[in-house]
Amino acid sequence: MIAPVLSAQAVTRTFRNGSGVFDVDLDLHPGEITALVGLNGAGKSTLMRLLLGMLRPDRGEVTLDEHTVRSAPRDAWARVGHLVEYPLAYPELTVRRNLQLSARLRGVTDVASAVAGIVAEFALEPFVDRRARALSLGNRQRVGLAAALQHDPTLIVLDEPTNALDPAGVIRLRESLLRRAGAGSAILVSSHHLDEVARIADRILVINAGRLIGTLDPSTSEIERAFFETVRVDDKRSAS
Amino acid sequence: MRSSAWAEAVKLAGSMVGRVGSVAVIVGIAALSGAMLLAAATGDPQLLAKLGPAATHDWTGFLLAAAQITSAGGLLGFGVVLSWMFGREFGDGTITGLFALPVRRSTIAVAKLLVYALWAVAMSLGLAVLLVVIGLSAGLGLLDADVWAALVRQVALGILTAAVAAPVAWAATLGRSVLAGVSVAIGLVVIAQVSVLAGAGGWMPLASPALWALSSGGSVSPLQLALVVPYVAASIVLTATTWHRLELDR
Repeated sequence: MIAPVLSAQAVTRTFRNGSGVFDVDLDLHPGEITALVGLNGAGKSTLMRLLLGMLRPDRGEVTLDEHTVRSAPRDAWARVGHLVEYPLAYPELTVRRNLQLSARLRGVTDVASAVAGIVAEFALEPFVDRRARALSLGNRQRVGLAAALQHDPTLIVLDEPTNALDPAGVIRLRESLLRRAGAGSAILVSSHHLDEVARIADRILVINAGRLIGTLDPSTSEIERAFFETVRVDDKRSAS
Repeated sequence: MRSSAWAEAVKLAGSMVGRVGSVAVIVGIAALSGAMLLAAATGDPQLLAKLGPAATHDWTGFLLAAAQITSAGGLLGFGVVLSWMFGREFGDGTITGLFALPVRRSTIAVAKLLVYALWAVAMSLGLAVLLVVIGLSAGLGLLDADVWAALVRQVALGILTAAVAAPVAWAATLGRSVLAGVSVAIGLVVIAQVSVLAGAGGWMPLASPALWALSSGGSVSPLQLALVVPYVAASIVLTATTWHRLELDR
């Protein structure tokens, strides 16, 4: 079996109020789209922060290309693209400048080509010379997604990527992720939109109260009902 | 480091804070110094008494006034810009994008400080040029060796004032906001003033550059002035280490 690009083993991080992420095991494999679904506060963003080194686990370990996240080399990070909570779009800079900035920070050598490619892919041409502060929330999200994907990463981690996107943006993102998974990228996306993730995900993981409690079959016809039933059973088990 | 420095330079150059800060440091200090020069020219005894040693309508009084304003106002102006450079990443939420990169966060922090330092040097040189223009326009006469020496001290004071604002970067990081850094910048100004009044200014890196410039280098020993170096170095190390160990846990 192909080694996972990113792996979490028994990862736990507890906050002072008792919330957090507990004993999570997760492997992200090349060419696979994994969706993470859960209610608000279930731990999706916390888990993503742990996977990307924004938080350190109290227990367990996260490895990136077989290196611990804390010691992963530059070239391993250069192959990662992520958007967690806020797009990397500085309001005072134009869309083009933001994309150039992101590309350079990620070690892209042909910045102009990378920017031109992603601008076309996400239909950003009308806004490319506009400052990010002048963009709508949805277009700013597009810029953040473009910044995360323009260097053709082999590991993609996106937290609620369809937030504020219009239907055209959702379709472009879907096509982009499917194409990138087809090219071998390992992808993790979190979302509230079960129908949307069911269209693209190879597997759907359900997180509740900081624990991965099960999986959903993306081909299930009534996926929302299946999701709520999974959460309900877990809540009942936890309460008893 | 090159890509990080470029990114920080682009952000500072494109920002309103960078532009307003530049105008405040150069035009603001020069305008206030010019105003004191005009006040000195009035000959009003009450006004002259308030101006103190800067009450002479010549290069000495004019540059003394500029040094006084730079030491207090400059510290605040430099501090606000430095605080914004660090604190805005948390306020705008862009800090999440500065993780999971092939660039270390400590490198990004050092790049921010490097760009800030280069900006401060440019501001200090720009201020000196504008002071010369104002002085010549006001008919203070040609620049002799003493005036050139005072101008060099003015440039050095500007750079040192920006340097002693360095803890603001650490404060904005710890407080995760621009406001936390600005609060510390105000605190630094107060500490500098109080330490001078208490007679300990020479040994206080926050105040020694100003005392050195205002006394034409006479009342502060080289050792006292050199204390600025470990003070600033400690601030840089603390800031870079904090960025290296940073967690988004609040």
